[in-house]
Amino acid sequence: MIEVKQLCKDYGNIRAIDNVTFSIQKGDVVGFLGPNGAGKSTTMKIITGFMAPSSGSASVAGFDVFENPIEVKKRIGYLPETPPVYSDMFVRDYLRYVASLKQVDKAKINSFVDRAIEKTNLNQVSHRLIHHLSKGFKQRVGIAQAIVSDPEVLILDEPTVGLDPKQVAEIRDLIKELRGQHTIILSTHILPEVQATCERVVIINKGKIVAQDTIQNLSTLERGQGKVFIRLRKEIQDLAGLLKEVQGVIGVDNGANKKEWKVDYKGDEEVIGRVSEKIVSSGLGLIELSPSKVDLEDVFLKLTYGSDNKIESSEKSAQVSSHVTV
Amino acid sequence: MSNILTIAFKEFKSFIKNPTFYIMMTLLTLILSALFTMQLQRFFQMGAMAMMQPGAAGQANIHYAVFLNHLQILNLILIFIVPAITMRLFSEEKKLRTFDLLLTCPLKSYEIVIGKYIGALLALFVIFLIAFLYPLGTALFAKLNWAPLLIAFLGIYLIAAVYAAMNLFCSSLSESILISYVTSAILNIAVWFVSQAVEFADTQWARNFLEHISLSFHISGLIEGTIRTNSLIYFFSAIGLFLFLNERVVESHRWR
Ligand SMILES: Nc1ncnc2c1ncn2[C@@H]1O[C@H](COP(=O)(O)OP(=O)(O)O)[C@@H](O)[C@H]1O
Ligand SMILES: [Mg+2]
Repeated sequence: MIEVKQLCKDYGNIRAIDNVTFSIQKGDVVGFLGPNGAGKSTTMKIITGFMAPSSGSASVAGFDVFENPIEVKKRIGYLPETPPVYSDMFVRDYLRYVASLKQVDKAKINSFVDRAIEKTNLNQVSHRLIHHLSKGFKQRVGIAQAIVSDPEVLILDEPTVGLDPKQVAEIRDLIKELRGQHTIILSTHILPEVQATCERVVIINKGKIVAQDTIQNLSTLERGQGKVFIRLRKEIQDLAGLLKEVQGVIGVDNGANKKEWKVDYKGDEEVIGRVSEKIVSSGLGLIELSPSKVDLEDVFLKLTYGSDNKIESSEKSAQVSSHVTV
Repeated sequence: MSNILTIAFKEFKSFIKNPTFYIMMTLLTLILSALFTMQLQRFFQMGAMAMMQPGAAGQANIHYAVFLNHLQILNLILIFIVPAITMRLFSEEKKLRTFDLLLTCPLKSYEIVIGKYIGALLALFVIFLIAFLYPLGTALFAKLNWAPLLIAFLGIYLIAAVYAAMNLFCSSLSESILISYVTSAILNIAVWFVSQAVEFADTQWARNFLEHISLSFHISGLIEGTIRTNSLIYFFSAIGLFLFLNERVVESHRWR
């Protein structure tokens, strides 16, 4: 449905996105995840035909965004970061206007507008001036304008940013309801949003794609890997040194103080057994040992914010494992 | 075509729903009423005097003495009103990011520009309807020569259309409605001063050139009630030029 190939975009000297390639199947709900400034909006703007890439290509439903922008735009509903609403218009008039700009058949405009209002729960405000609406409602009007032409593809740029928790939950529910009717790309810098609404995720950082997979696969990215939290009675300076001989341990991180540690391991529960044995036998006093599984948050942080540490820690684990094999 | 009309009607509706538009129209009516009645009074006084001095009879002509002044005042007002109409068409849309909507709808750049231009022309038409009420009212008690009057109105409407094209272009260049307004107003005033420069031009070629691009040269014929082809060509090419530049600016947004 959406093919993006080797897309680059430069703003002056700044390279906003660099060699971005991904493809999205019809009906997918894809989360476009990355910290602020990662290049999410830039990528989305190129897909919508809002602006041209510096190099590379993008196509929607088989139409090149660049050569055939009109055909692409007919098939896309787009919610930019700021909802593009005219505050001096009534909600219904505004949606009618957008529908006719999107070239919805004249005879169908009313029913399409009704449907969009219905879906976004705007019934009670449909005869109000947009100017008088709350931020959450304006955002809904923004989503309503994106779906009013019943587009094949829906592109939502940070649809919940700046809303209060209740409004965020409402918008997420709304997006869930839209699943199955459109191919959806949704950008966000908050992970739970992707977990709550998407089936697949594309993680982008500093203009580059660092991972793309189903949420299921990503959260078990490093299969058979686990993490335990350990609280000790006595302080220890170097738990890693103590545990390096234990088979299966691949990393040891310090927690809040020298009594709290996190241990990464590879293998089954026997590894945890060996770890606790080792600690108990060295007389450190094991107070707490709780397993926690590697979740998407870890993967995300590792891939984005901690991308510099990542190299370090993988080196470290390489060291540990080489030790083990010796 | 339907896209152009959709945009044009939306813009026109926004104008006439806007309280500022009514304030502007009220001010316009006040100014025109005050000055028109003054002119009319003076004209009738002159007429009365002319009757006492048979030699000067027939000199007085309501077209020149009243209506042309009326139109000149209208023109002066337009110099400042047209920028206020056009400033929101692009600058405000860009500032409020609603422009993104237009750029992601299946529209061609020229459709956006012409749609907005027609919207502005429709709003100007309201102003002209108001201004036309005055000669219309005069017709109740005086016999008028309609043809030159309508041609003169058409002339000023064409000038307003040139202002609108220039000012719409200014609007497309800036995200600030203030900058858009000021540059537009300066440009509108400047086109009248081109004619002043004619006196300082030293070569015949430059003089001809300046004369041909000056509004006052081309308006003089229309205002006196005669339509000249080259003047019409001048007005339409000025409008075409600025709309074309405007289209280029909108198109360039897609390349940033
Ligand atoms: N119009 C612009 N001019 C210059 N730089 C820009 C512009 N828009 C975005 N950028 C830069 O490009 C990068 C990516 O921006 P953006 O796509 O908006 O990121 P995101 O949406 O992921 O937060 C950022 O470093 C940003 O500063
Ligand atoms: Mg963004």
